[in-house]
Amino acid sequence: MQRQTEGERFMTANAMQGPGLWTTSVGSFPKPDYIKKARSRFARKEISREELLDLERQATKEWIEFQDSIDIDLAVDGEMYRGDMVAFFAEELPGLEIGGLVRSYGNRYYRKPIATGPVGRDHAVTVDWWRYAQSLTDKPVKGMLTGPYTICDWSFNEHYSTRRDLVLDLAKVIRDEALDLERAGAKFIQIDEPAASTRMDELDLVIESMAVVTEPLSAHTITHICYGDFHNAYPKMLDIPVDQIDLEFANSDYSLLEEFSDHPFTKYIGFGVVDVHSHHEETVEEIAEGIRRGLKHIPADRIFVDPDCGLKTRTVEEAKTKLTNIKKAVDVVRAEL
Amino acid sequence: MAITTTVIGSYPKPPDEGRAFVVRQTLHKLERKEATEEDLRGAQDDLARSIVGEQEVAGIDIVTDGHARWDDILTPFARHITGFEIGGLLRWFDNNVYYRRPVCVGDLEWGGPSSVDAWRFAHSVALKPVKAVLPGPITFARLSVDEHYGTHEEFVLAIARVLAQEAFELEAAGARYLQIDEPALLDAPEDLVLAKKALEIITGELKPSATEVTLATYFGDAKRLGEEIYDLPADVFGFDLVAGPENRAIVDALPGGKKVQAGLVDARNTKLEDKDDLARDIVTLAERFGADRVRVAPSSGLEFLPREKARAKLLHLAQAARRAETNGG
Repeated sequence: MQRQTEGERFMTANAMQGPGLWTTSVGSFPKPDYIKKARSRFARKEISREELLDLERQATKEWIEFQDSIDIDLAVDGEMYRGDMVAFFAEELPGLEIGGLVRSYGNRYYRKPIATGPVGRDHAVTVDWWRYAQSLTDKPVKGMLTGPYTICDWSFNEHYSTRRDLVLDLAKVIRDEALDLERAGAKFIQIDEPAASTRMDELDLVIESMAVVTEPLSAHTITHICYGDFHNAYPKMLDIPVDQIDLEFANSDYSLLEEFSDHPFTKYIGFGVVDVHSHHEETVEEIAEGIRRGLKHIPADRIFVDPDCGLKTRTVEEAKTKLTNIKKAVDVVRAEL
Repeated sequence: MAITTTVIGSYPKPPDEGRAFVVRQTLHKLERKEATEEDLRGAQDDLARSIVGEQEVAGIDIVTDGHARWDDILTPFARHITGFEIGGLLRWFDNNVYYRRPVCVGDLEWGGPSSVDAWRFAHSVALKPVKAVLPGPITFARLSVDEHYGTHEEFVLAIARVLAQEAFELEAAGARYLQIDEPALLDAPEDLVLAKKALEIITGELKPSATEVTLATYFGDAKRLGEEIYDLPADVFGFDLVAGPENRAIVDALPGGKKVQAGLVDARNTKLEDKDDLARDIVTLAERFGADRVRVAPSSGLEFLPREKARAKLLHLAQAARRAETNGG
């Protein structure tokens, strides 16, 4: 059977109503204090894994309820169960081990995994969480995966002789996970590649590995890319075989839009309109103006509006305000369509 | 014949597994106003002291304070320079580490020393000489936004004048080793002439032959600069031989009277180098140039590694250097 086009896959997903400018989130939400406490108590072996899981389910439910309460079109589970997006997979995949702490920025640190052997997969990693989140809402919930290139780039490598070998083994693992999500019913699958714009000479490897992941899928596929050398990565990044690319605009004052004048953006877009690393609360009008700037380059029915990146570094209240203002801004601009 | 071991600058801040991460906790407390700036300084002093000590125990001959108080090499300076504001997060070269981009909004003026107190502290707790590190003017300019000067050249030279003042103060405080980091120059061969002019402004503030100046590059090769890199005013030239194996050809052309700082152990991957391989590599360099013209180092700052791994790498490097000394060189 010939692979469907992106539009066909989108129609198959058949979940989005109305004229476009659908609201969504990139993936992570801040963890409420009781999760942070429970995670440290779990680390100190003071509570069981089951007790932690119960609390993570409760927090997931609260975030789904919040998204429903402000009528977000495409929900996420908020990743209450993840430490970070690479370590979460590394913990579950044979061949990867969790390493020591390294700094990401400012006072933020993460445990950087180490590839110590051939990477494989012996069980589904995200499917139960997706099923649980989807059971709580009538809105579609995105399946959330970390892309093979990013897992490689954010890990140490003590086993493979080339980065490409590691990336391509990881691609098969993530493809199998995506297929399991799809079998469970996910219509939207996001394969995050925040590292994709790191090295222009490896963009071909990003494209090659993403093809391994998305080729057998019939879901609407999305990738999120952040903090990189956009001006050199664009328009080549349009060759990444996904239906939608999610990008940050607010953080760079929408400067990427200038690129779209020369080379039209040809996919569905995740349009980031609030800065996730700033305490600043963007006003509804600020966000609406950002969306209007986007509409000059991309039609509404190709746009998903969301924050620049995962909101996990904000406080719960900041995240809720940012999402609420996004929703209000979308309503304002939708009325103008 | 002794081979000098050194480091590029940064060092992991997290402690060994299972130990309290005091600096991180204090920063969190400071945010909640449960700790004071004084508490933070104390925690950073302890961190700097332990980093200096670890390098010395590992066998490093010229140490740094590990940038224990810095998030990157730009913002601690930008914060003290009038005319700079601190902007959004950007990726630090090709690493999964992010820095805040300085934004130039007015005339740049030296607003007092940025790094002198930190150097003085490290010097006071060190047995070995402590190298002072400055960001190079090209790298500083290329990783910042200029909303004021309008031309790259004016912006670079303005930064150089401010850094010159800092270099002068470091020398006056007693620093005898000064490293200027220019990783961004590797991708900017068009800036070579400007780099020379800018670096001369900085080195022009130093007393002739009192302070040894190292020009450090890392994260790539200097192929596009070629041998012209040696026109820049420095005594020691630093190359990353891990990320830039092609640097070996440039090292080979090291002019007489200059020294090389060879980045031999991978500061960005945990896999430990074989000591014999390292020793052989060092012997080759020492035979080619004479041991007194060879510095060996990690490929870049070490903060990309977990603490234990960074320490293990330094230990291997120093042991390989000692082995090279006995086996020849």
